[in-house]
Amino acid sequence: MLDASPDIAPVVKKNNRISVITIEHLKKSFGTNIVLTDFNLNLFQGENVVVLGRSGSGKSVLIKCIIGLLDPDQGQITVLGKSILDLNDDELDQVRVKVGFLFQSNALYDSMTVRQNLEFPLRRHWMKVSQQEVDNMVMEALENVGLEYTVDMMPIELSGGMRKRIALARTLILKPEIILYDEPTTGLDAITSKEISELMVKLQRKYNTSSLIISHDMKCVQLTADRVVVLIDGKCWAEGSFEVLRHSEDKMIRQFFD
Amino acid sequence: MNFSETWREYFKEVGAISQFTLRFFQQSFKPRNEWGEFIRQCYIIGYQSLPLIGLTGFIMGLVLTMQLRPSLIEYGVESQLPAMVGIAIVREIGPVITALIFAGKIGSSIGAELGSMRVTEQIDAMEVSGTNPFKYLVVTRVLAAMVMLPILILLSDAISLYGSFIGVNIRGFTSFSLFWNLVFDRLEFGDVLPAFIKSFFFGFAVGIIGCYKGYFSSKGTEGVGRSANTAVVVGSIVVFFIDLIAVQITDILGLN
Amino acid sequence: MAKKVVNHIKLGVFVSAGLCFLILLLYMIGKNENLFGSTFLLKARFEDVHGLVPGNSVRFSGIDAGTVKAITILDDGSLEVTMLIRKKMKRYIRKNAQANLGTDGLMGNKLINISPVKFAAQVVNEGDVIASGKSIDTETMMAVLDKTNQDVATIASGLKTTVQRINSSAAFWAILNDKTLPYNLRRSLNNARRTTDGTNNLVKELQLLITDVKSGKGSLGRLLRDSSFTIKLEEAVEKIKNIGNQADTLSGHINALVVSIDKDVNSGKGTANALLKDEGLVLKMNSSLNNIEKGTASFNQIMDALKQNFLLKGYFKKLERKKSSQLPSTSYKSD
Repeated sequence: MLDASPDIAPVVKKNNRISVITIEHLKKSFGTNIVLTDFNLNLFQGENVVVLGRSGSGKSVLIKCIIGLLDPDQGQITVLGKSILDLNDDELDQVRVKVGFLFQSNALYDSMTVRQNLEFPLRRHWMKVSQQEVDNMVMEALENVGLEYTVDMMPIELSGGMRKRIALARTLILKPEIILYDEPTTGLDAITSKEISELMVKLQRKYNTSSLIISHDMKCVQLTADRVVVLIDGKCWAEGSFEVLRHSEDKMIRQFFD
Repeated sequence: MNFSETWREYFKEVGAISQFTLRFFQQSFKPRNEWGEFIRQCYIIGYQSLPLIGLTGFIMGLVLTMQLRPSLIEYGVESQLPAMVGIAIVREIGPVITALIFAGKIGSSIGAELGSMRVTEQIDAMEVSGTNPFKYLVVTRVLAAMVMLPILILLSDAISLYGSFIGVNIRGFTSFSLFWNLVFDRLEFGDVLPAFIKSFFFGFAVGIIGCYKGYFSSKGTEGVGRSANTAVVVGSIVVFFIDLIAVQITDILGLN
Repeated sequence: MAKKVVNHIKLGVFVSAGLCFLILLLYMIGKNENLFGSTFLLKARFEDVHGLVPGNSVRFSGIDAGTVKAITILDDGSLEVTMLIRKKMKRYIRKNAQANLGTDGLMGNKLINISPVKFAAQVVNEGDVIASGKSIDTETMMAVLDKTNQDVATIASGLKTTVQRINSSAAFWAILNDKTLPYNLRRSLNNARRTTDGTNNLVKELQLLITDVKSGKGSLGRLLRDSSFTIKLEEAVEKIKNIGNQADTLSGHINALVVSIDKDVNSGKGTANALLKDEGLVLKMNSSLNNIEKGTASFNQIMDALKQNFLLKGYFKKLERKKSSQLPSTSYKSD
């Protein structure tokens, strides 16, 4: 896919792995409140990376910068070989099609049914697809999350966990290469949280996506993370597998596990 | 908050609304119009407001007629009651009262809807799924408000006049055709056209302010409530300001 | 999907209803302003339009016939009013019709009323200029009324002094005692009335003449087609007529006054009679008469005394002789 586009920047490789998201020296502040000071990150193809951090540490700001919802003050973000900050609206849309985003609050459209919610991302990018194909895609997405029967319900009628799964289905309907999860298990009970985490891993395997997960839910981190990046003071404080970090002696890291 | 800071806030707000308006015009001329959503908004903003607007219009016509009657009897021009009410409704009261009620109903609902969409990241979700939320949410709503309010005002005028007809007939008797003739003998294009043109501006103002307040709603449910509230307040004030400007323009153009 | 179709229908009905009302509104107003439908133009010239504006209605014998389209100032300072008249009215409006400025009610809008004149004339054509009458606006009406009021006040005060004088004049009442006087007065009043009638007749004849002139009978008529002259003449006649009428009323009043005085005198009622019945006055008059009588008596006595005087005896005798001699001579002659 990437090789097909001649205008893209050189693919960033590290240890012979393709980096789908590269973040270098990212800085972002809101007024006098500095959120990110100097953040660097690589997300490799087929990898699940969890960014671990406390509330208000700038995790959400980070992924909103990646998808272009927020403009960073400084730094460089490359997604699928394209520098996000240099793209115009149309080009940005081209990249966004390949990047799914699961919002913390699910962001299901309240005024639409589940079906319309799932169809919504398709209306731009799958214009030439017949209604039959759209229906098939919707049902396939719902099957993935096991909620086919909710297709004509309104989001308000669904429980928190169901909404999260519908949101996940909507994120996956465009078959993105990268999925950004913004605190996917926040506000859910432990069992549902575990279900969602397992679903994330299952779907990641199925569609072979790369995932960047923002979380402070250790159960979720344990289940999903191939690699964990600890975000403290707007910087990449530590990096490693869940097991490595769990046994870390660092006081700042320890507070996540205790 | 001291005095200069109040002014600073005020100018900041005016500047932001102006920029938002400019963005509206830029976006509305871009391709890929959201016709489906526009029609849906027309239905919600226009058709579903009709019962409220119709009821208030009817009461307004009836009450105005009954209130004016004693004064007109005092001057011995009771026969001019339909003409007077007709001019008052078509020129001023119909457009302004309807626009104010419209601001109350539609301004607040747009403010609250977009506000909650902003707070629950639905606007962001639209953006990342490749739909321009400004076009999809703002342009359609503002255009729908702009097109629907004049129609609502016309229907409100008609219903008000019917209310006035009933008001005239509560004491005394006037046939419908006489009432009709009395109203239309006194009405001129100079009464109808400025009122009709300004109603587009009323609709635009209510729509754009509701959208602005909602689109830039601050986080949390309190922010949504404040968006809805300020959308109504600012919208109503702007309606009056547009009315003030409109009367000056019609005066200069000699349409009075 | 079905729900959406219903939405469209309702929305369509809603929008159509609104637009229908707009069209109806504009059409009704347009109809009133004669923007639609066939019309033709008529013109009339005025010296002053008293605030008439384009859009004001034009009536033909009181029926709505059209609207004022434009008002232009001509080179000679007069104003030309262009009227938009419905085609339907065309066959009723004739060339001799007269346009007058008027008001709808006492305080209403200005309007133009076209009044037909009884005499036959051709039907108007597009763009014709029809005759116009001088307008009577409220202001001039009030000015005339004011002047009339002043005149009435002057007359009333004059009458008051006259009556006072009459009341306080003894000589007048003495004259009134003469029973022939009321008769004479009445006669002269009758004469005055006859004169008034004569004036009235004259006025009528003049009016007839003017009508003839207006309707274009005779060469004079054609000469006098100038409507303003006709109007002036008519005004003059109107004034003469007014004077005649005033004289008539005045003589009527005086007549009534005289009649009442006459009645008072005869029936012995009222102030006039009371004055006449004043005993003092009668006594005074009597005494003066007595004095005169006395004077005459004493004169006679003096004359007798003189006759007896010796110095003058001869003179008186001569006088007597002359008298007696004259008498026979005349008798001679008669013989």
